Amino acid sequence: MMAGTKTALYKRRIRDFILQYKESKLGIVGLFILVFFIFVATFANNLSDHSIKPTGGILKDRFKPPSSKYILGTDDVGRDIATLIMYGGRISLLIGFLAAIISGGIGTIVGLTAGYFGGWKEDLLMRITDIVLVIPGLPLMLVLASLLGSNFWNIIFVISVIGWTGTARVVRAQVLSLKERAFIESSKAIGASDLRIIGYHLLPNVFPLIVAQMILGVGGAILSEAALSFLGLGDPSSVSWGMILHWAFAVGSLSSNYWWFIIPPGICITLVSLGFTFVGFALDQIVNPRIRRR
Amino acid sequence: MSGRDYFIKRTVLVVTTIFVVIVINFFLFRIMPANPVDILISPTQGQEKMGIEIKEALMKDLGLDRPLYIQFIIYLKDVLQLNLGYSFRAPRPVIQIIAERLVNTLVLMFTGNVISILMAVSLGVIAAWKRGSKTDLGSLISALTLTSMPMFWVGGIMLLIFSVRLDLFPMFGVTKIGYSHPNFLSYLGDYLHHLFLPMITMALVSFGGLFLIMRNSLMDVFSEDYILTAKAIGLSERTIIFKNALQNAMLPLVTIIAIRIGFMFSGSLLTETVFSWPGLGYTIYQAVEWRDYPILQGTFLIITILVVISSFVAELIYGYIDPRIRTGASSG
Repeated sequence: MMAGTKTALYKRRIRDFILQYKESKLGIVGLFILVFFIFVATFANNLSDHSIKPTGGILKDRFKPPSSKYILGTDDVGRDIATLIMYGGRISLLIGFLAAIISGGIGTIVGLTAGYFGGWKEDLLMRITDIVLVIPGLPLMLVLASLLGSNFWNIIFVISVIGWTGTARVVRAQVLSLKERAFIESSKAIGASDLRIIGYHLLPNVFPLIVAQMILGVGGAILSEAALSFLGLGDPSSVSWGMILHWAFAVGSLSSNYWWFIIPPGICITLVSLGFTFVGFALDQIVNPRIRRR
Repeated sequence: MSGRDYFIKRTVLVVTTIFVVIVINFFLFRIMPANPVDILISPTQGQEKMGIEIKEALMKDLGLDRPLYIQFIIYLKDVLQLNLGYSFRAPRPVIQIIAERLVNTLVLMFTGNVISILMAVSLGVIAAWKRGSKTDLGSLISALTLTSMPMFWVGGIMLLIFSVRLDLFPMFGVTKIGYSHPNFLSYLGDYLHHLFLPMITMALVSFGGLFLIMRNSLMDVFSEDYILTAKAIGLSERTIIFKNALQNAMLPLVTIIAIRIGFMFSGSLLTETVFSWPGLGYTIYQAVEWRDYPILQGTFLIITILVVISSFVAELIYGYIDPRIRTGASSG
């Protein structure tokens, strides 16, 4: 009986959510962009006949402009750039998602702890947040990546280390306002443990907000990865959109006017990060009480 | 909170932040897998040629045989005296290299961001005033698109169009190489010619974020009662916007700048690297490429301290112009 009403409640909530989401034109556009890129990245090996290993006839097929054989031309070692981009989407999206999840997780823990416990814990955590917020992000990522060495996980770590502050602040603000509500007070009164209150009452209530923050964060993380790769701190063993651009710049595609090597990867990064921004905005409009009130 | 409390609180925060930055900077470069001396003896040459005696002498010389806290005190003293060590690549004091290049960064950041702020304020006013209009939607979507573009790629596209295709602007540097200018005016002209593309790139990459915040805060201002009253008593749009709304919009603008100074440095780093513009950002990039750790450590420290202090100054200005903080009328 109880379970039945609960499922019905969730069903109604999901239906309401979909109705509200449909209202947002940007949200729909963003969703289409993301579905397209995730599809292409997932099925890269089915969609392209070319390999991303350098071809045998390296010298013959170097820097070929777009043609019917190579839709977006070839790079400095004769690889098909369209194929590189399809595979590159995998790494860029993966790094974006993982970094957003990890920084969202750190932000959630910090925000929940600070908001729920208050006192010196809150002071300490929020001062740390202030300090991380003021340190210029890219120089810090650069220093960390060059000291730790650049591989897949280090890049994710470096992006996450500076990316959690926004979530921490949003979660803390929400927890502060939830804490005053009656149901939290009454759970405390009947002796529920802190962990139970956080896990059963606070987390489910802030969860939609956290998801919106994470989605907004994916685009930023993809841009950060691209910037690090461009600066020579990407993982040289994996093809990401940032690495493709790094190679393009490194072999002098600018001065040689190999525009097909430079323009397409940048457009992909822009579209995907725009897609995440649109979807994140649409979600934020629905779940963030501060925006909703306006 | 009164004005004085606010000031004291911010000062404490800024001093702690700078201290934390120095601590981070000290320890970061010591938790690396390699010993500072191994790095000093240049990773490319290898230490085999140097011999163990020289390594020990060097460690003693640098104080690396002492306990960590003493090393930290020595480092702190050096930093306070602006002694940041010597570059591996060119045997010159790090602080000297930084001082030379700081000007270029400041010129690029200042000019680029002034253009960007002017664009953001004027378009922000129009967009917020005619909410939902074509201008509003158009500038909103371009702002969102600009913030989604990789900054270095924007610079690359500028170079591709204006330097490679149209051959209007130089591709790198601050002045023509190997050309001695007969007078200052000719030098200045050359400098500005080189500055133009990086400056526009800087303006474009900063514009998006600035515009979005500007539009939001202006919308708040425009929906406030006194603006409605002004409309009701028949003041012209012009008077309302320029006499009332814009004055109030200056407040959020100062906050935005305070928040975004760090971001401006990140933008400058990428722009400088694309255009080989010899500022602090390009210096950091080269230090990473050449594994020139004293330069990397010193430049990172100086950039961070500059950001912390300039955000602090912007906040002080904010505190000064916001009557709620000045008189302590607000309790938040």
